[in-house]
Amino acid sequence: MIPFEMVEPRSLKEALALLDPQEPTIRPVAGGTALMLMMKAGVFTPTRLICLHAIEPEHARITVGGNGDLRIGAMATLREVEKDSNVASRFPVLARAMRTLSSVRVRNVARVGGALAHGDPHMDLPPVLSALGARVSIAGPNRNRELPLEKLYAGYYETVLEKNELITAVTVPALNGRKAAYMKVTSRTADDWPSLGVAVTFALADGRIREPIVVVSAATEKVTRMSAVEKALESAAPDDATLRRAGDAAADEVQTLSDAHGSAPYKRELLRVYLRRAVRQALDESAQ
Amino acid sequence: MSTRLINFTLNGQPVSAAVEPHRNLVELLQRFDLFGARESCGQGLCGCCTVLVDDKAVSGCLYFAVWVDGKSVTTVESLDADGQLSPVQQAFIDAGAFQCGFCTPGFILMSHQLLKENPNPTDDDIRHYLSGNLCRCGTYPEVIEAVKLAAGK
Repeated sequence: MIPFEMVEPRSLKEALALLDPQEPTIRPVAGGTALMLMMKAGVFTPTRLICLHAIEPEHARITVGGNGDLRIGAMATLREVEKDSNVASRFPVLARAMRTLSSVRVRNVARVGGALAHGDPHMDLPPVLSALGARVSIAGPNRNRELPLEKLYAGYYETVLEKNELITAVTVPALNGRKAAYMKVTSRTADDWPSLGVAVTFALADGRIREPIVVVSAATEKVTRMSAVEKALESAAPDDATLRRAGDAAADEVQTLSDAHGSAPYKRELLRVYLRRAVRQALDESAQ
Repeated sequence: MSTRLINFTLNGQPVSAAVEPHRNLVELLQRFDLFGARESCGQGLCGCCTVLVDDKAVSGCLYFAVWVDGKSVTTVESLDADGQLSPVQQAFIDAGAFQCGFCTPGFILMSHQLLKENPNPTDDDIRHYLSGNLCRCGTYPEVIEAVKLAAGK
């Protein structure tokens, strides 16, 4: 790797001040597992990394609010989320997704904030958390703001974060009985980057799907909410005909991209099939 | 660019080193003549570079060396420091859980961590925990046997 500087601010304020909105070669680093891959590949050559480890303790907590909302500090490791008892009991879909995400070693080091801010459409947390209706808290030098997670993504490896903003936390509303599932397809090894990720959540009332949120990732240039699929599922009974219609709507709605994990037509077929499976899996969880 | 002086515990001994920020943990360990952790895929996928930092397994190829400042680093070389193979090491020999041996230090350290967290793992637990370790010789069935053998000891 090409030499660079690393500085270690002691507070969030100091960290924000060290970032430069005009300078793309200065970047924050949390776990570094994704960033180091870009650096090794030569697609990112920093002049300075702002290491966030010293401000970790106060931004790594995982807590549940009085309303049942789950708040995950941006510096929590993926492994901490996976092992958290509140996550396991309240958001089993999230705990399960964590286990399929990379390896134990990467999960020990990678941080939630980095996984959200990186903007790589192949990551698993953005689609799962988006379908759960999560919101990200963002700190900047002059103002803090909050966004629905799905609005964070602007394109391939692109987010709406300014270069001098940092994600501080992600808040996931209580499931309140909503069904949830995340399915991913890896075409090479089990812990490889996926060819497709699809996340669904919905309420079930009188045997009908209500207020579905359906999100696709990995096959597309960014995490994408599929409104035509949601329309096809809304107020429908989750029978074979509905699922077929929803799967077809997904394949029609989304522009899939070819990459090392599969061609665009292959991914479109994966989406058609896995959307149906994801809805079925969400329904199965309720039987457990 | 600037080097930084770091102090850390390496296999139980306090040590210090001057490192540049762009060096990874495997490169740092090589300077202490420790070659058990190897950079193989360089992408955190194969597990050959497994090192424990504060008792957590990390991919040494994806971990900046300066980050071990103030921390405790454990490598595979510590396991038989008293002249005795660890139960996991002995089990890998007894089960014949390697051929060329290149990936073995990583598998052994990961197996140690697995058994520490979960002393009686099922085959599925073992497969899951070791899914990020690759053996090009294909000794996976023997590795699973070895872990179960070590768990029984």
